[in-house]
Amino acid sequence: MKKTAIIFVICALLLVSLAVWALTERMAGSTGRILEISVVLIIVGFAAFLGLSRMRSLRRKEAFEDEFSRQVMNRAAALSYYASLFLWLAVMYFSDRRALEPHSLIGTGITGMALIFVLSWLWVRMRGMKNE
Amino acid sequence: MSQLELAQKVGVRRETIVFLEKGRYNPSLRLAHNVARTFGLLIEEVFLFDD
Repeated sequence: MKKTAIIFVICALLLVSLAVWALTERMAGSTGRILEISVVLIIVGFAAFLGLSRMRSLRRKEAFEDEFSRQVMNRAAALSYYASLFLWLAVMYFSDRRALEPHSLIGTGITGMALIFVLSWLWVRMRGMKNE
Repeated sequence: MSQLELAQKVGVRRETIVFLEKGRYNPSLRLAHNVARTFGLLIEEVFLFDD
């Protein structure tokens, strides 16, 4: 229950930060900004989905974490780590060719890693964990 | 027995039972043993192991 509460608190903090950022930057219309917001919303949506899924399991009085869910997480983490190496290589490649601020590069890399983890998780869930 | 009842008895999530039924998850020996014991059967009577 504590972990579920933490997930929702982090989601709320992220949404508030996004709202503050959107209001102070007055971001409107730019494709890059819309993309950034979309990625953050996907990540928050994923975290909220996990939190809701845990709450549903609690309500049903079933285990909210078991060997399958842990294996999916581990497999997704391993896959996303591998893919993230290539993401950082790409970020370094583009940083040499385009004038970007360091915090933008780091932000892009970290957000990309989170997005890759979400995609890896979905991929592992779709394929299942047969003969692993 | 419903998927949820079986999941509660063997201590896993319902979705794990769904993946087991679809053949998309190979359970641990402990889970396979618990599922078989719930039905009063042997592991090899519940799960089919093919190459």
